[in-house]
Amino acid sequence: PADIRDAAQARVRSAPPPVTDVARLCVCDLLVAQCDVNCCCDPDCSAQDFSLFTACSVPVVTGDSRLCSQKAAVYSLDVEANPPERKFELIDQVNPSIFCIHATNYKQALYLKSPEIPTPENFDLLLDKFGGATFSAEPDTWNLDTDAENAPDANETYRYEYGVPVQTEDAFLRLPSPVVSSWCSDANPAGFLVNQATKCIRSVSVEKCDSIQALSMLFYINSSILASVFQVNITVESIIVQSLSGTRTLLNSSDVLRVPMVLDEVCINAVLGVNYHITHTDTGEIIEAAAAFVLGAISKEALSIEQSFQISFTQENTQPVALSGNPGYVVGLPVRAGFRPQGYPFPAAFLFAALALSSNKHSQLTILQSTQDCLAAQGARAPVLFGYNMVSGCKLRITAAMKCQPLAQTLLDVLKGQSFPEYVASFGNSQAQDVLDWVPITQLHISEQMISNTLQSSCQIPVSLGIEVKWTKYGSLVNPQARIVNVTATITTTTLKQLPSGRERIIPITSSVVFTDISSPAQPGYKAWPTINIKLPFDFFYPFV
Amino acid sequence: NNSSQLSSLPLQILLYVNGIYYIFYFLASLAMLIYKSQVFSYPDDFLAPDLAVLFLMAILEVPRLYLGFSGNLTEAEVPLGLSLGLTVGSVVLCVYLLLWQTYVLRADVLLNAVLLAAYGLESGLKVTAIAAFVS
Repeated sequence: PADIRDAAQARVRSAPPPVTDVARLCVCDLLVAQCDVNCCCDPDCSAQDFSLFTACSVPVVTGDSRLCSQKAAVYSLDVEANPPERKFELIDQVNPSIFCIHATNYKQALYLKSPEIPTPENFDLLLDKFGGATFSAEPDTWNLDTDAENAPDANETYRYEYGVPVQTEDAFLRLPSPVVSSWCSDANPAGFLVNQATKCIRSVSVEKCDSIQALSMLFYINSSILASVFQVNITVESIIVQSLSGTRTLLNSSDVLRVPMVLDEVCINAVLGVNYHITHTDTGEIIEAAAAFVLGAISKEALSIEQSFQISFTQENTQPVALSGNPGYVVGLPVRAGFRPQGYPFPAAFLFAALALSSNKHSQLTILQSTQDCLAAQGARAPVLFGYNMVSGCKLRITAAMKCQPLAQTLLDVLKGQSFPEYVASFGNSQAQDVLDWVPITQLHISEQMISNTLQSSCQIPVSLGIEVKWTKYGSLVNPQARIVNVTATITTTTLKQLPSGRERIIPITSSVVFTDISSPAQPGYKAWPTINIKLPFDFFYPFV
Repeated sequence: NNSSQLSSLPLQILLYVNGIYYIFYFLASLAMLIYKSQVFSYPDDFLAPDLAVLFLMAILEVPRLYLGFSGNLTEAEVPLGLSLGLTVGSVVLCVYLLLWQTYVLRADVLLNAVLLAAYGLESGLKVTAIAAFVS
């Protein structure tokens, strides 16, 4: 029994020898011990089967066609005979090309290499070679390369590229996020310049809350980011404490590290949210990192809490403002707008004439959001999105008791909003420092009653605001960028007729935004036709001239 | 041969033609080696000996032809004898390229066969020339 087993093992260890005789090779013989249809080289087929075939699926079997002379097995069906029979010939095929292979002294040239059968002895070697995602001929040099990459070079500054995970001392800057399910996974690295915001659920228990690492501030700031020659520590920017009822208070001093602890069956100082702000240079080096925490309290009954994480990247010396396109506006992104700070002349020195852009809400062009009653409107406004024509409105109920002037002012506020901007960015990525990249908003007033009564004192109330944004295609023909050229805000006013007392009137107030494409058709540029400069030599016609 | 002139004219012609043919042979063989290395599976440790043999043959050819020319023209048997010795070496390398190269194409066979024939004829003419000079 032992030698039978050995013999069986020995048989398994070597692969069957390759078949090189063209007469015995059959590519279409797929079924074992059965006749394959239309397979003329199948040894399992009898003459009766051959008579039923319509054609030969494999007419010729040869070796490498680049050899100068080789044997070829030719199979054909003789349909004229009754019944049809298969013909088999072994011919010498000659390659007429002058570059045919006459002979080779390299055995593996024309045949595929027989793979090594794994044995207990060579299994580890084969696993090293072929077990990874890529095959490599020399696994040792591959390992050497990755070691060299990991060891940071002290002289070289560490530059990041978009999407590359931000590296810290031990691993990567973690941004816990839900993977597959909503539970937090701590293995998600933050990519450079990839602004992310994630929310995930973490299971907690109040008794063990001081031992759960992910609830403590330390977990998020203890490792320092590898950047440049030195390492950047993550500083605590601010701490907001959220109570059990949900009220949030901003702490004055943010340099005290708060660790979670159990107090009266409530776990306090548990991390509910982290907001990373990373500042980088324009060459991709990280120079600052700060984290803003939201710490909260977990009650005894809570089995899980929701944590939210956010990371944003800001280039140094610039305002963090969301771009609406780079450089041309992208359809659907808000139109950026701003104000000129008071007291600065235009277009004075660029250092002084920077436009003021504060937080997102005020740096957008906004339009009234439709409501039923204009005066009851809460001031909700919708941002104007590039490329989307919008119409909105509300109804105004005028009673006899309303005074004209305050009503006109209120309606103007309703239509234009609290802070109607003065300038609109012509490109989606216009910076506030570049004054010439901003287009001033032209304001027009149209009175509805063109046939004006001589009584100009009768007051006018604005009833509609129409913003027309003229944009053009700018740049190359294959990748045109949208650029805003002109913005006109037209206020149409109408006369408010005095109502008899007790009466009411409802007038509609509308505001609209229209985007008009004024791009001129592209002009193709042609190269100048080549000129043929033929000049005869000076004395070509000597002696006649 | 003229009695006053012992230099062999056929040998001179053959050496001259050999020089021109060898330039063509070298360029064609090198081009075909490059072609073979791109089209076929040609690992580096099989390509290196073939390239080395080709370049060695080119290096041997220059002194061989020069010695042949000068020996025949000056009717000196020593340079001609040295040239004959170098021819033997060239013949060996040519036989290698004809039979033991990794891939021998039909064009290889033709080029090397012609070169081998030229070498054989040259060797015969050199032997008769040496015999004429010595005697």
